Amino acid sequence: MDVNYVGENLLPGKIGQFFVILSFGASLLSLISYFFAAHNAAKNQAGESTADKSWKTLGRIGFWLNALSILVIGSTLFYIIYNHLFEYHYAWAHSSRSLPTHYIISSFWEGQEGSFWLWMFWQVVLGSILVFKSRSWEAPVMTFVMLCQTFLACMLIGVEVFGSRIGSSPFILLRDAVQAPIFSNPNYLSMIADGRGLNALLQNYWMVIHPPTLFLGFASMIVPFAYAAAGLWQRRYKDWINASMPWALFAVMILGTGIIMGSFWAYEALNFGGFWAWDPVENVSIIPWLTLIAAVHVMLAYKHSGHAYFTATLLALVSFVLVIYASYLTRSGILGETSVHSFTSLGMSGQLIFFNFTFLVITIGLLVWRRKELPSTQKEEDIYSREFWLFIGALVLTVACVQMIATTSIPVFNTLFGTKVAPPVDPIIHYNKWQGAFAVVVLLLTASTQFLKYKRSDPKKFWPALIASFIVSLILAAVVVYLTKVYTNVMYVLITFTSIFCILANIRVLGDALKGKWRLAGSAVSHIGFALLVLGALVAAATNEVISVNESRYIGVQNFGKDGDKFTDPGENLFLTEGEPVQMGDYKITYVGDSVAAPNVYYHIKYEKIDEESGKVLESFILSPFAQNNPDMGGLIGTPATKHYVTHDIYTLITAASADSQLPTSNMQDSEKTGFEDYDEPATYQVSIGDTLRYRNGVFIIDGINKDAKLQNIPLDPKDILVGLKIKVISGDQKEYHVEPVFLLKEGNAYDFNKDVEEQGLRFRFTNIRPDQDKLEIMVYQKPLPEKKWIVFKAIKFPYINFFWCGTIIMTIGFIMAIYKRVKDRKSEDKIES
Amino acid sequence: MKKSSIILIVIIAVAIAMILVIYTDSSTYSTFTEAKEKKTELYVVGVLNKEKDLIYDPVKDANLFSFYMYDNDSTECRVVFNGSKPQDIERSEQIVLTGKMEGNVFHASKILMKCPSKYNQDEVEVIEATTAYLAK
Repeated sequence: MDVNYVGENLLPGKIGQFFVILSFGASLLSLISYFFAAHNAAKNQAGESTADKSWKTLGRIGFWLNALSILVIGSTLFYIIYNHLFEYHYAWAHSSRSLPTHYIISSFWEGQEGSFWLWMFWQVVLGSILVFKSRSWEAPVMTFVMLCQTFLACMLIGVEVFGSRIGSSPFILLRDAVQAPIFSNPNYLSMIADGRGLNALLQNYWMVIHPPTLFLGFASMIVPFAYAAAGLWQRRYKDWINASMPWALFAVMILGTGIIMGSFWAYEALNFGGFWAWDPVENVSIIPWLTLIAAVHVMLAYKHSGHAYFTATLLALVSFVLVIYASYLTRSGILGETSVHSFTSLGMSGQLIFFNFTFLVITIGLLVWRRKELPSTQKEEDIYSREFWLFIGALVLTVACVQMIATTSIPVFNTLFGTKVAPPVDPIIHYNKWQGAFAVVVLLLTASTQFLKYKRSDPKKFWPALIASFIVSLILAAVVVYLTKVYTNVMYVLITFTSIFCILANIRVLGDALKGKWRLAGSAVSHIGFALLVLGALVAAATNEVISVNESRYIGVQNFGKDGDKFTDPGENLFLTEGEPVQMGDYKITYVGDSVAAPNVYYHIKYEKIDEESGKVLESFILSPFAQNNPDMGGLIGTPATKHYVTHDIYTLITAASADSQLPTSNMQDSEKTGFEDYDEPATYQVSIGDTLRYRNGVFIIDGINKDAKLQNIPLDPKDILVGLKIKVISGDQKEYHVEPVFLLKEGNAYDFNKDVEEQGLRFRFTNIRPDQDKLEIMVYQKPLPEKKWIVFKAIKFPYINFFWCGTIIMTIGFIMAIYKRVKDRKSEDKIES
Repeated sequence: MKKSSIILIVIIAVAIAMILVIYTDSSTYSTFTEAKEKKTELYVVGVLNKEKDLIYDPVKDANLFSFYMYDNDSTECRVVFNGSKPQDIERSEQIVLTGKMEGNVFHASKILMKCPSKYNQDEVEVIEATTAYLAK
């Protein structure tokens, strides 16, 4: 290790590493100080003593020090990536010189270290709001936030302690991370031309915006946890609910948005062929989202009725434990055999498990510790009360989550118990079966609970209102089911009906809101959005169809006998040759060519809808899905192109292409003229003037002889004979070309000078004159037909997918309205208190 | 009976049903020999036989890709995939197939590959190819 390496810029790494350690130390300091501040405050209720204040100040110092460190780590790492300092492993592994700036930002969080940083960064942002705004809650709440921050900070340390490495630092040097012979060369840096770059699959603008949103969602889940835990710890059982409600809604909104962004990304740009695939990675992010939604509803129930305190607290706490569980599953490599896009292991499983267990133990410990003091009411809930059904709804959501966790965790059970159980062969069918049923129940509850009041409603008012909406929904649902053609399956019909019922019931609430009862407008809008989302997902998932079905080749050959067996069904990929139109469903499609915008190749596919009777083109558009041929990343990676309509989308993806269009086409021109090797075997003809002969793509006519032919550069003797032969070529598409090969007899030797018709790949030689037979001899060379460019592609029609996106947007608006209202509630309550 | 007890019983019943269904839905990682006996859809884990040709000729049939794979018992079997050739399968160091045996040929509906990253031994990329997306 005595090599003096040339050209390394080691300072940023040292600064970065210093602040990595500092961020850990500072968060630990802050954690301990806040803990004592809260602990002492809880003991002497009378008021804050000066000792508490100094603990709190110390906690704040730790927090701001941690915040500073996080900012410095981020900017240093960005500096390293942005300036392509490939002596650092992170820059080399995740970026390259050719990346545009927005992908350089993305490469920042391609790796686990960067995504941990993102999580910490958001926690700092949220923490600073808490420091300023949470007043008496600051110390206990920040204790839990800083506990989480400490755990995250230790993921970046990357220092060996007692022989095992703690965390993985983003500032590790390439030569330390990778073993390779070039590192014995002091000048190795000059040999590293470029980094490995950002995975081509991730080169998408969603990679810029989706991870930050998702991690803001994950990070904000700590706040409801911290409030719930602080409430138990400080015995402030009741008021944590109001204080944390806006935070919980915020977390639900952001995490929901982040998840749907991922779904939109998968739909629009990845080639998994859909917006939701029940991939473990997707599941583990939606589980905490659902449990926190359940928590929000039970918290409301408790607030209005005093029931279900335990459930509200448990759900708020468990949601964050599930967030950590999600990051364990995706980051430990345990899902390797079941998931498409989980992170790979960085050898931090142990740390992640410890992180997870700590928060689980806190959850259970606090609840057990305070079990006797938890507020409860002896009175039983009334069946005609909103809180009772809110509670039931939350339980159904929880049970739905248990199902998802159970199936997703199969690899974990395998590791724990040494079994070798494989997950269901078709996860989509498996999950849809369960989650479809849960969706029906949840939607039904969301709809009917709108007709109930807290504490007690009058059944005589409840039933007529409910039944009226029920009947209207039945009629509307029948229309929708007919229009969207989902009547093939009972479950589809049920989901459609309950979604519409839910929308109607909430529109009714919204109607009341317009009359001045703005209180529930936010929730009504979110519920409508959620129901629309489910409806859109159902219709798109249930009725989408592959329209690139390769019918001609399969029907009658392999498809006899068993219908519906996917092995005998026609394939989903369609083969298209350039310029040869194919009828695909309603469309005539033509592969019209490709264009290169390095590193992507765009394949242009023209879609035409033609009126059968008049032959008029009703509609015409070109879709240009592209693909990147990147041998490092696994060959051809396709990115679909989608034509959006109001009622459906047409989605086109390249799955294979002729090798030609992948190669630069520049080096072909020069070599053509050197000889005859580009041509097929020639044909020799004895012809007379006026003869018409065929060639592959048309005809040519021997027009006549030109005795005045001239040749440049060759001096002619009067005795020499120089004759040109006029040939007219008429190609298949009626184009005319004139060409005149030349025959020369010079000093008794015969020469000939060939002439080409480049466009038709023809070459003529005038090789002999046979006066005895009155014939002329020509040789015709034809180029082999160039192998036509082809592509293999898949096209899928997604009907009514817009409901899904629309629902998401409406749901988010609803959350914003609800947050606004809860923040106002809290402020007015604060005023009453003080 | 109290309402909460009824709810509890219902939840327990649903949970038991769920566990049973997950158990029956779950599959096993097996071998070609077992696949021949069972005739149901299952997973087979193995490695690509790199000595034999991978056959994919989109000009003839864009939906037919076939190759040979060794399972964990080193049994070799021809695999047919009703779709286009997944990129990079040549580099894969492990393949997880989903599908079933028909005669002596394994019909795969899904291919999940683990490829070693070019430079770094301990990093693994996972790539998936699927044809049976619309398996209704």
